[in-house]
Amino acid sequence: MYYFLPVALILYYAAPAPNGGTKWRNLALLAVSFVFYAWGEPVYSLLMAAEIAVLWALGLLIERFRGTPWSKAFLVLSLAVGLGALMYFKYANFFAVNVSALFGADFNLRKLALPIGISFYTFQTLSYSIDLYRGKARVQRNILIFAAYVTLFPQLIAGPIVRYTDVAESLGRRGHSAEQFASGAARFSVGLAKKALLSNTLGQLSSLTRAVSERSALSAWVYAVAYGLHLYFDFSGYSDMAIGLGRMFGFEFLENFNYPYTARSVTDFWRRWHISLSSWFRDYVYFPLGGNRVAPWRHVVNILVVWTLTGFWHGADWQFLFWGLYFGVLLVAEKYFLAKPLARAPAFVGYIYALLAVLVSWVIFDAPSGPEAFAQAGRMFGIGVRSAVDAESLYYLRSYAAPLIVGIIGATPLPKRVFARLSERFGALQPVLIAAALVVCTAFLVDGSFNPFIYFRF
Amino acid sequence: MNDKKPSVRAISSVAVFAAVIFGFTVLNRVLTPPVISQSERRPLATMPPISAEGIASAKFMDGFENFAADSFAFRDGFRTIRAAVTLGAFAQSDKDGLYIGDSGAGKFQKLDEKSARNVGRKIAAVADTLGGLNVYYTFVPDKSVYAGRYMPGFDPETAERILAEELPDSRYIDITGALSGGDFYRTDLHWSQPRIGGVVGCLAGAMGFEFAPMGAPVTAGTFSGVYSGQIALPLAPDVMEYIPMTDGVTVEYINENTLAWEPGEAYDTAAFGGRDPYDLFLSGSKPLVRIDNPAAPTDRELYLFRDSFGSSLAPLLAGSYRRVTLIDLRYVDSRVLPELMTFAPGSDALFIYSSQILNSDSALLVTDTR
Repeated sequence: MYYFLPVALILYYAAPAPNGGTKWRNLALLAVSFVFYAWGEPVYSLLMAAEIAVLWALGLLIERFRGTPWSKAFLVLSLAVGLGALMYFKYANFFAVNVSALFGADFNLRKLALPIGISFYTFQTLSYSIDLYRGKARVQRNILIFAAYVTLFPQLIAGPIVRYTDVAESLGRRGHSAEQFASGAARFSVGLAKKALLSNTLGQLSSLTRAVSERSALSAWVYAVAYGLHLYFDFSGYSDMAIGLGRMFGFEFLENFNYPYTARSVTDFWRRWHISLSSWFRDYVYFPLGGNRVAPWRHVVNILVVWTLTGFWHGADWQFLFWGLYFGVLLVAEKYFLAKPLARAPAFVGYIYALLAVLVSWVIFDAPSGPEAFAQAGRMFGIGVRSAVDAESLYYLRSYAAPLIVGIIGATPLPKRVFARLSERFGALQPVLIAAALVVCTAFLVDGSFNPFIYFRF
Repeated sequence: MNDKKPSVRAISSVAVFAAVIFGFTVLNRVLTPPVISQSERRPLATMPPISAEGIASAKFMDGFENFAADSFAFRDGFRTIRAAVTLGAFAQSDKDGLYIGDSGAGKFQKLDEKSARNVGRKIAAVADTLGGLNVYYTFVPDKSVYAGRYMPGFDPETAERILAEELPDSRYIDITGALSGGDFYRTDLHWSQPRIGGVVGCLAGAMGFEFAPMGAPVTAGTFSGVYSGQIALPLAPDVMEYIPMTDGVTVEYINENTLAWEPGEAYDTAAFGGRDPYDLFLSGSKPLVRIDNPAAPTDRELYLFRDSFGSSLAPLLAGSYRRVTLIDLRYVDSRVLPELMTFAPGSDALFIYSSQILNSDSALLVTDTR
């Protein structure tokens, strides 16, 4: 933040922009984005560069042979390249281990480090290839602009998943204004505060309560709530920072979160959580499978396939598959059984049901193993605990009460509404809050132990 | 930029953002970062060397990020801001385990049972070589035990049970009840020497030595202990006092290079002004120290296996023994002890370690060859 960002901003705004052109600024953005990625992944940056070159060339071929079977062949090839790299680096070891266990074979596969952000930039490039083939996107003939799109550093490693069609126009021509930059700075500061102040603090609480010596129902609940908030502020904080940085560089990324913990059903939750991922699966997997315009049994299969894949996207492990399937089953249940009762029930029933379903899902999501996932979820309901309350968890609950309350309130639209009202009356509020957020967050970053974003590992 | 005139709010927001981001970047480059953090008593990360191998392996990046955090301009000020937000605005009971209670600042750390068991085994291994000696052991409970409120920290009962299981042939002396929170410095983990008369009395009762009343304390000066720097909040400094030795008592240290005994001081007032003021007592970390008291009421000797807490305890025991030999197994391997000294049969041996040592078994240079 204090070395890279100033240099990136200087290079970007120092780049010439004759008649509002973006050529040199895209080039500056590409250069700093590549350095940004290479800083975390010096070796795999070459992999990304190779993928960009191949997928860009395949895009040209899809366009060149449009209307012929070759176009489809090149689409399939580009999907194979993108998904192939993802499969190899993210899933090969999982399959090797499980096939070995199943057949008693011994696939001695070296465990590969997962390239940071590969799940995100792969899905971005896939959206380009598919939309290009479908005629929804125009071919990008300039490899530097295509590379700038793929490597766009604000959202490169943890989303939101920005589709090419969403930024194609901005890549060619975009405006810059003090209003937009200020809005970006404010959004960036909000995201930073979410991450450095709330997510990291609540992450500490979840770690502490997961490791208490005497597991009680209280420890399980405090852990689940803390982890749920930790994950939300971590991921939505990163998205806020990405959206804010995007505005500083003239882009407008789509929102990725919409107060998911105020959802009244699981269906509603997934319209509000990681919107860019769920909409990606909807448009590129669910709809092509037939969506809901098929026989009921096929509809159920479509939902389960999409959610199993969504789970698998999050990680190459059984608990992620189960986590995705868990949501698939809940969504099927809502579509066929629960939708009407939930709509008729008082609002609080929907809130409690959705929160409960989501909290249990996070326990599965964070569990080190399948049995531990069930054990931890069971503790929430008094199964396998020696007591309802233990002194250690009670201490942590008291100690972290204020961050928890701030986190719970912060997960609702209330702070935004209050800020909007106050901001109308006090014009200086925004710059004062930006300064305060930056200074306090810097204090937490300087003195805190390193806490990378959770979604970096996806 | 667009032609539309920007609002004052937008301009001021951009200006504030730029001032903070660019301002601190410039300050970080202009100001020379300190090499050592006085408040945290640790060396700060330095700029890593740039090399192709370092960049390819990302070691340079990792090193640079540590350097960037450690060399940040006004770092101590930022640490204070974080402490104020954590303990003030968030009203948390502790910051990374550090708390401020009735007895000042402290840090609670859970007992590492595996480590404590290994410490017990190491003590047993050394005790096995002390044939003919009366072997005792105890541990100094962490200050947080006396914080006056529940904290998920050090559990003395579990420590006692684990050590008892590993040391069935040695005698445990419980000093937990002989201490209170006020016996420790408010800003440091150590106990205050003039306040541990109860501990010495406890040891005297169990080990059967005479303990004369302590003399009046002398003030060495004021100091801010390790917790003061770690918690990064302004705390009133402590006053360090010590009980003067009686005339005729001599102190010798073993020279680590020549292995010869050289004269030293029980209270090293020069060391008090150094990095760790607790080095006042027997000059701090030394592998072997002996205190001779020709006027002792007995010819018995005491072998004190100890850490820094033992440095302040030993001068109080010197009045009761002909010789007290302090052995710090963090700095001398137990296997070479027979080459450096002989143990007088019929003497006493006391192992006394703090909770910090119980939690870091690898600190003791003992190879359990049993």
